[in-house]
Order: sequence, then structure tokens, then C-alpha cells
Amino acid sequence: MIEVSGLKKTFGDVVAIEDVSFTAADARVTGLLGHNGAGKSTSLRVLYGLIKPETGYAKIDGIDVSQDRITAQSKLGVLPDGHGLYTRLTTREHLQYFGRLHGLSDDQIETRSEELIRMLDMQGIKDRRTEGFSQGERMKVCLARALIHNPRHVVLDEPTNGLDVMTTRKVRELIAELKTLGLCVLFSSHLMYEVAKLCDDIVIIAEGRVVAVGSPEEIRAAAGVDNLEDAFVLLSEQAASA
Amino acid sequence: MNVVRAVLIKELKDGLRDRRALLSAFLFPLFAPVFIYGLMTLVIKQNTESEDLVLPVIGQDYAPALMRQFEEAGFTLEAFDGSPEAAVRDKTVELVVQVPEDYQETMANFELTRVLVIHDGSRNDTRTIVRKVRNLISNYNNELAALRLIARGVSPKIMQGVRAKSSDVASDEQRAANLLNFIPIYVLMAAFVCGLGLAIDNTAGERERRSLEPLLINPVTRTALIFGKWLAASALAGAGMIITLALCLAAMLALPIDELGLNFTLTAGQVLMLLIAILPVPMFASSLQLLLGLFAKSFKDAQSYVGILIFIPVVPTLVMQFLPIASSLWMYFVPIFGQSLMIKEILGAETIPLLAYPAAFITTFATSLLVCWITGRLLNQERVIQS
Repeated sequence: MIEVSGLKKTFGDVVAIEDVSFTAADARVTGLLGHNGAGKSTSLRVLYGLIKPETGYAKIDGIDVSQDRITAQSKLGVLPDGHGLYTRLTTREHLQYFGRLHGLSDDQIETRSEELIRMLDMQGIKDRRTEGFSQGERMKVCLARALIHNPRHVVLDEPTNGLDVMTTRKVRELIAELKTLGLCVLFSSHLMYEVAKLCDDIVIIAEGRVVAVGSPEEIRAAAGVDNLEDAFVLLSEQAASA
Repeated sequence: MNVVRAVLIKELKDGLRDRRALLSAFLFPLFAPVFIYGLMTLVIKQNTESEDLVLPVIGQDYAPALMRQFEEAGFTLEAFDGSPEAAVRDKTVELVVQVPEDYQETMANFELTRVLVIHDGSRNDTRTIVRKVRNLISNYNNELAALRLIARGVSPKIMQGVRAKSSDVASDEQRAANLLNFIPIYVLMAAFVCGLGLAIDNTAGERERRSLEPLLINPVTRTALIFGKWLAASALAGAGMIITLALCLAAMLALPIDELGLNFTLTAGQVLMLLIAILPVPMFASSLQLLLGLFAKSFKDAQSYVGILIFIPVVPTLVMQFLPIASSLWMYFVPIFGQSLMIKEILGAETIPLLAYPAAFITTFATSLLVCWITGRLLNQERVIQS
């Protein structure tokens, strides 16, 4: 379970997040929804231990990320905001490197790599250097290296951003599959229909604050509109004018 | 430890596959012997070439005895026509000797006769020949004076007062090593050049291609990441430095240095001592490069910061040129300064205090560790991760 409470973070004069609290349960998909610049990535960065909040905490299975970053990170599989790959290494070598950083043995890495290559349809690119990979191929490598250590919690920052239809589908299938495996999946997006389709729970962030939490039905009810997209726009605008 | 090894293996694999960067990094050591051989051959040639030298003379018929002196010293005389000043200034001739028309007349009257040596004092390459000509004239003068005294029944010994006698305390190896001043510079520079590409790619490059964030979300200490990167860059820098040293020494041994009346020998023991002395230098260089690479805003920024570091090895030699102080123990404690001194002294077959080895090694190595530790701490700062 992922638990985030009262996060605040400022960069210089800019308040990136003001008050962010939510939970993401196991065997459920939680969507973090917000406009660009609403504070999604900052919240996730606190969660995966890249930056420290001024107030509040983020806990993975009860472990505070700021207190014990390394234990918390070992429980997380993360697709971060940056999707950089090493152009001179092959797909497998990426998985090997990240597996070793997670303390896996070479046998474990081998078995798990084969599994992920199958899951993500990467047979054709497994031994190719990542130089010149398409956006979709790169995303697959990023996803695979995030999942190499078989984490129980998966955090994906805008996993479908800039992908073609085929890869987007593949990513959605993956998210659904992770859920059936009982994992806690948290992903961020600014695409309403994607979140509506995939998520059990939705957290809407606007202006650095959580403005609504709940199932799609609950959110529609809270905003008093029938359409989820209208609800999202309405709630975001209310936050902006407040 | 496993983390350090994983990072080391990955960075080396990644770095060695970057053929272009590797080529440009190792161009430096490969050029070392070519550069040294070329430069030294030039020096040797200038210092030894005296055979069949052509000496342009105006009025050689006026002073046949003096001319014979020149010829005996190996000069081929050549009558010169035209303006000697203009010719020397144009560099068409190195110098011109002008014998005055009234040479015999003044000589007969025991007056002072002036033989003009026209040369360009700003030219380094003609200094040797000009000195030689002047010495010949001066010797001829002494002989002439002695003969005149004998003709009057006076012993030429009467002219002997005080003369300087030089006693050079420098050993032959030391004098040769003086010529080798640039070997420490070159070898130490190699340590700063060969790992540079990897160190920048490792830090500024990691951020630029947006792979730093994915790396930092791994459950490992950031100091371990830095140590892995440091060892990878050090390995490459060390390889480059040792290649440079080997090639420089090979070039020195191939040179006809004995033609300068100098002696350059090299024993296996000396080579071993050299290696021990310079071993921590690539580690030192790489640690500084990683630190600057992380500080830099971009890849280009990093290149210019790290580029400045290359001049560090020049500093000790420059300092010693302008402040020629006797080496004392504290100098070995200063990273790079100590090693620069040791290379020169080992090549010059001088005795180095035994304490110098641990002194230079420990301080340089410890400084590198400290820099790496600071870099690791820096990697915990959000400012560094984000920018």
C-alpha cells in the first residue's frame, strides 16, 4: 500500500505542491490526474525518493521514504519522468544493470528478463542496442527495467505520453495485468479517458492540492456532472479560482 | 560492493563502446612519442650540428691566418657580397664575418683590429654557431698575443691571471632529465585526458540524456554509484597514462641522446618506481572530473570546466622553473606536485627519500576519496539532481 499525507514542496518562490494526500491500495489501479504543472510529477518524485517534502510523508507499506529511502525504493518499481536510456547498451544489458543495482543474482535477472521480454513483446529488440529505438520501444525498455525486481508497488509517471496506439494498448494491458497479479499500481496522466478506463480510484490534483478522491462514480457525483471529463475540468477550474 | 562493481562494469562497457570518444581520448598518448621524438631530434640536431658549416665572410683575403683557423674548426668559407645586415635580417644567412680592409696594416702596427660578427641576437637557433665563431676569434687573439710575447722574449705565462674553471654538480642523467621536463607534464596530462570523456558522459551526460533520474531511484547509496563511476573513469585514465609513459620512455631510449654528451639509461627498477609513483594520479584526476561534471549544467559546460583541469600537471613544472627550490619532503605531500617531482627525479637517477612514496600516494589517494565522497553527498542534493 502507498500512503501519501500532507505533502508540501516549494522550489524557490514557486509552490509546486501545497497539500497532497492520498492512498493507493494493493490489487487496485489508482490514477493521479491533473493538468500539466498541477503537481503530479513532484508528488511522485517525493514518493520515489528523489526529493524530500517540506512537510508530510510518503510511505510504502508503512516505510517512510524520507526516513529509509533504500528500503522503500526496493519495494517500488518506477517509471520516472525521465526516460533516458543508454544508447550503447542493449535491452538485455539495461535489465541486467538495473537488476544488479537491485541486488538480484544473474540467474534471477535472466529468468525475469525473459518473462518481461515476453510480457512486453520485445523479442525483436532484446539484443539490439537502444540507439535509434522508436518511442514505443524505448518505453518498453523503461517499463521492463522498472519491473525487473518484481516489485509489489508500481509507480508510472505518464506511461502513455507520446506513444502510438499499439504501444499505448500494450501499456494499458500491462497495467491491467499487474493489477490482477495483486500489485499496487499508481500512475499519473493528464488524459481523462485513459484514467476513467483503467482506474479503480482517481485522485485529482490541481494547483498543488488534491481536489477530489474516489471512484469515477464518486467523482462525478461530487462535481454534480454526468461526464467525468467535465467533472475534471470543473474541479480544476474551481481550484484555480480559489 | 556489488553495486560498485555493477556500476563499474556497466560504465566500462558503455565507455569502451563509444569508439569515437575513445579514439579522441587515446590520440593523446599515441601522439606522445611522435611529439617527443620529433622535438628531441630537433634539439639534438641543433646542439650537435657543426660539421660542414658554411661561414659567409667578407674580405677573407685580408686575414689568411684567421681564415685557416676557421677552416680547421670545420667551417667552409664562402665569399659574401652585398649588405650583410640585410641578409642576416632576412634570415638568408645565419651570420656574416667581416674582415676590415686595413686588417694587415693595423696588425702590423699592433693596433686593435676589429673583425665584425654580424648576427641576429633574437634568433635562438643561431646562438650556438655565433658563440663558436666568437670563441674561435678569441682563441686566435690569445694565440697571437702569446706569439708576440715570445717574440719579445717574455713568457706568455705572464698573462695568466685568474680563470674560471667550472665543475658541474649535475649528473649526466640529471642533465638529460632536465631536457625531459616535459615527460612528467605529458604523462600526468594523459591521466587527465584519457578518462575525461567517460567522466563527463558519466555525470553531465547522464543528466543530459535524462537517465540520471532512473538511476537514482534504485535502492543503493549514491556514494556507491559515484565510486563505481570513479573506478571506471580511473581505469581508463590509468590505462592511457601507462601507455603514454611507456611510449615516452621508448621514444627517449630510441633517441641518440648521447650525442649531447648526456646519458640516459633506464632500469626495470626505475620503471617500477615510476609506476608506483604515478598510480594514484588517474584516480585523483577522475574524482575531480566527476565532481565538476555533476556541477555543470550541461555536457558542453562540463567539457569546458573539466578542460581547465588538464593544465594542472603543467603547474608544478612551471613553478619549479621560476622558483627553483630544492625539493623537500612537504612537496611530495602535494598531489600532482609530488608525482611531477618524482618522475623527474626517478628519470634523473636521483635518490628520493623513501617516505616520498607513501607520502605522495596517501595524500593523493585520500584526496580522491574525499572528492568522491563529496560528490556522492552532492548527488543527494535536489539542486544537483534537478538542474
